[in-house]
Amino acid sequence: MTSLVDTLDFDAIEKRERRARRSSWAVLAVSGFVSLLWLTPFYYLVVTIFKTTDEYTHSDPFAPPRGLAPILGNSVTAWNEATMAYGMSNSALYGGVGAGLAVLFAAMAAYGLTRLDYRGKTLIFMTIFAGTVFPFQMYLIPLFLLYGKIGILNTRFGMMLFYTAICIPFPTLVLRNYMSGLSREMDEAARMEGAGEFTVFARIVLPNAAGPMVATFLLQFTWIWNDLLFSTVLGNRAEVRSIMNSLQVFQGSYASTGPNVVLTAALIASLPSLLMFFALRRHFMEGLKVTGL
Amino acid sequence: MSRRRETDAQLLARIGLDAVARRERARQNHNRLVALAFMAPALVLVIGVLLVPVGYNLYLSVMNWRKFKGFDQFAGAGNYFDMGSSPYFFDALANTAIWVAASLAFPIAIGLALALLFRGARFEDAFKNIVFLPRILAPTAVAVLWIYVYAPHGVVNRILQMVLGHDVDIGWLYQQSTITASIIVTFVWQTVGLVMVLLLLGLNALPKDPIEAARIDGASPFQSFRHIVLPLLAPTLLMVSILCVLAGFTVFDLLWVMGAGYPGLRTLSLAIFMYFEAFQKGGWSFGSAVAVVIGLIVLSVTWLQAWLQHRIDQNLK
Repeated sequence: MTSLVDTLDFDAIEKRERRARRSSWAVLAVSGFVSLLWLTPFYYLVVTIFKTTDEYTHSDPFAPPRGLAPILGNSVTAWNEATMAYGMSNSALYGGVGAGLAVLFAAMAAYGLTRLDYRGKTLIFMTIFAGTVFPFQMYLIPLFLLYGKIGILNTRFGMMLFYTAICIPFPTLVLRNYMSGLSREMDEAARMEGAGEFTVFARIVLPNAAGPMVATFLLQFTWIWNDLLFSTVLGNRAEVRSIMNSLQVFQGSYASTGPNVVLTAALIASLPSLLMFFALRRHFMEGLKVTGL
Repeated sequence: MSRRRETDAQLLARIGLDAVARRERARQNHNRLVALAFMAPALVLVIGVLLVPVGYNLYLSVMNWRKFKGFDQFAGAGNYFDMGSSPYFFDALANTAIWVAASLAFPIAIGLALALLFRGARFEDAFKNIVFLPRILAPTAVAVLWIYVYAPHGVVNRILQMVLGHDVDIGWLYQQSTITASIIVTFVWQTVGLVMVLLLLGLNALPKDPIEAARIDGASPFQSFRHIVLPLLAPTLLMVSILCVLAGFTVFDLLWVMGAGYPGLRTLSLAIFMYFEAFQKGGWSFGSAVAVVIGLIVLSVTWLQAWLQHRIDQNLK
């Protein structure tokens, strides 16, 4: 042991440590600068929603607000002028029903694809999976024309129908992978005891797949909530407008109000997905890992 | 009870081979019916609402649409040739190419740099969360926010004024020379966080031994990054690149909301061009043909990804 200590070069060690310390300060400085850059738009957003329209037009965009009260007026104006009551409840309906039904149907499909033995599974799986390979642009014109023909264009039913369908393939892929990893002994035991297939599905497989089902539900709900493209094409009537569509329409016609009101509307519109993200961060990150979305 | 528990071998001994085969077939048929009942809602919705429309899109793209008559004429490849004679199409195509290149290069370069910078640094989680933050806003809200950031009296011009010392009032979103670059900056601001997180997941999953061995053998940090980390990271980089290419290729929200005030809106990208031609001008057949072109490009990118993935998997084995 002594020989090892003799060969140690203490100067070199100290030099290396000093260099490491200096480089860690450099890393911190650069990281701080990048963060500042990334936060600048958020800072602008936060100071703006606390200003009245008059204050906004006469002050520097970076100036802190004079008081916190104006946000109440901004929220009320935004809520009324952007018809956000419609937008929020419509989007909650589309997201809840669309993502909920889609994940349920996907779980049923995954059950049929993994828990029973028969030939021809690959073909059925490929059919469902085909729903993920085409870009959204290929659905727009045919759906618009077909919806018009059967009279469900600009209806809540039409919106929910589409959102349910588009959200099925991806959860099916995830749940199929997950369910094929679950042991089938429990199923067989339950069948032996005389349980029907539906009981096996609802009582044994579903409870075990709750984790990935929640994760995929959140991802699909957020996707529906954030969607602008399809809600613009298939639901462009004031009463059925989604929240993102309302926001875009409001931004385009803000003659009577200022950026302070529009940005308040934008923040309110983002609140549900922000809350969902923070409340269920772990599931969200899990979902990210699964999907890479 | 004892009969139900009897194994195939026992049954075979009792009644013979044919009966076993018949029983197996009956069981398969029964299972298939049960499975079909479970899969029916998903299959009906996917086929009816997604796959049939894709087929209808193909049909529309080879027909002619006329007012009051509908799609009554076969046009063959006519709609596709029309694209060649539309000057806007080539502008949209060129802009899309710029978008794809930029949405591939910038998010990956910056995302990788930030991943390497933040990894192991003090306050790593805080920095990561800050850069990821824009991702949890809705794209439409991001677009609305940046409209004001780029406004003549907005944030960007104010910063330039502080740096340059004189008034700046550039309409970033209203002139051809700046609009695409401006929206790309917003796109990068929004996507880099996700790219960084995915690359960090990839980096943290790398085996430690080869990197450690290279360090002991005296490789500089740059050398070990270039020759060891980068090749090992290739599968992750490939996945992230494809995500970026597809996102950049089909981006709609940012361009549609932020470009709304720009007179040449339809030239901003193929996706916008298609929307504009169909839903604002009523060129249903022509729009369908553009959608088919978009579909073909996306499918070839996906195919390329599968092929490359296969190659990489083979190399790793």
